[in-house]
Formats: sequence, structure tokens, C-alpha cells
Amino acid sequence: MTLEAVGIALLGAMKLAGKLVLIIVPLVTLFELLRHLPVFRRVGEGVDPLMRGIGLTREAALPLFTGIFLGIAYGAGILIRVAQERRLPSRELFLMGLFLATCHAVVEDTLIFVVIGGNGTVMLGVRLVMAVCLTALLARLWRAGRGTPGA
Amino acid sequence: MEETVPDLRARLRAGIAAGLRTSLQILKITLPLYVAVDLLKRTPVIDVLGGIFAPAMGLFGLPGAAAFAFIAAFLLNLYAAIAILVPLHLDAFQVTQCGLMMGIAHNLVVEGGVLRSTGARGGFLTLCRIGISAAAGLALHAVHRLAA
Repeated sequence: MTLEAVGIALLGAMKLAGKLVLIIVPLVTLFELLRHLPVFRRVGEGVDPLMRGIGLTREAALPLFTGIFLGIAYGAGILIRVAQERRLPSRELFLMGLFLATCHAVVEDTLIFVVIGGNGTVMLGVRLVMAVCLTALLARLWRAGRGTPGA
Repeated sequence: MEETVPDLRARLRAGIAAGLRTSLQILKITLPLYVAVDLLKRTPVIDVLGGIFAPAMGLFGLPGAAAFAFIAAFLLNLYAAIAILVPLHLDAFQVTQCGLMMGIAHNLVVEGGVLRSTGARGGFLTLCRIGISAAAGLALHAVHRLAA
């Protein structure tokens, strides 16, 4: 193990970290700027038909879109607060959870893998299609008012 | 739900500060992991340990060593996983495959806790994520093989 090898490794690591920082700082800044726009706060109204298709109501729109764009860990504050304040029924919470489990933080996740050479359309497309299909399927199998799957 | 909306300058500052904080966290994870993997690659360690996982990773069209990135993605986050993936020099399909599978299942401990705090069934959803991730990976590998 030579000093040169360490140098090459450090250089590669710095390059990668630099690329990631260049994505993260503008992205987080943009989110912070957009977060307070009225469009984002009233996002529920326009997407009603889409939401119904996957078994969700307008009440779930804000936490759902927060999760899709910000991610579960970063959007945790909003997710937890809205879910508790609006008292979403457990069926909706599970459907929303299933959608987000498959498809969240889509901008950041996709970008960082595109930077290292992945195909963004494939990664984003497959996740989105799977999330919609799985949630819509479960919403049809599990009608409102019945028990919890996996309980 | 009502909170006071800070002015544009304050939001810009808050955003950049949050971005830099996140970046610092990312640096702390990626630098040591990348250097460790890049140096270990010069020894037989990665190949020998990766060999153990080769049959499982092969199902998804990935080399055995990619398993380390999956472990890092599941327990930590995608930045840790990427720090391990890059020194392994995967091809474009393999990076896409990792991005898809890890995009679905990552940071399971923290995110499982968040999902549980909303009142959803966090543990069960976490199992779903691993299952969905594997299903997506098998499907993409199958499509890739057909197309090749």
C-alpha cells in the first residue's frame, strides 16, 4: 500500500463528494424556497382524481407529495405532523406508506445515481409505475372499513 | 398547520445553510468509505468477501461486491452506498440497477421509524420495501437480458 494509492483514493473520493455537494446544495435551497408557495400548500385540489385512483383522499396529498419530493427522512417533520393532525384512517396511512415506500425522494435519489452513470428514466419510471400499480391494486383489494393487511 | 412564512432572503439563507449541513454529513460518510473501498480493492479482501455474495447478487446482474453497497444503503443511506459503488467501476446497467433497487429500499432503520410515527405499520412496510426492491431488480435484470 503506497502513499500514491492513498492519494488516488482521496482524489477520487473528493471528486465524488464534490459532485454530490453540487447537487445537494441547490436542491435543498430550491426546496426551501418552494416549500412555502401556496401552490404546494393547496396541492390537494388539482390532483383529486389521481389521488382517488390510488385509494387516497385530498387530506393525504400534502404528506404524499412531501414524501415524493423531499423523501421520508427529510420530510419527516411534515409527514408526522400532518398525519397526526388530520387523523388519516389507517387504510389511507398504509396506502400512502406503500406508495412512499416504493417512490420517495425521487429528485435527489435519481440525480445522484445519474451523476455516477445510471439511467434516470429507467430508475424513475420503474419506481413511479410500480408505486402507482401496487397502491392502486391494494386500494381495490382492501376496501375501506375492512381490517389491516399484515396485521 | 399555519406557520408564518419567512421572506425570500431568509428562506434562501435557510436553504443554503441546510444544504451545506447536509453536504457536511455526506462528506463525513462518503470520504472514508470511498477511500477504504478503493484501497481494499488493491487487496484480495473485496474479491474474497464479495465471492460469498456473488450467487445472490448475480440474480440481479450485479457483482458480489455490490452487496457491501446494499448493506450500506439499507443501514445508512444512498450516499454511503454510492461511495462504495463508484470505486467498484460498475457498468451503466449495473449502476441503474443499484439506483433502482436502492432507491426503493434504503435508510430502512430511520425511515421505518418515521413511517411508524405517522401511525402506519412501519415494520411491515419496511419488509414490503425489501420485497418490492428485489422484485424490481429481478424484473429489470430480465428485461436487460432480453434486450441484450
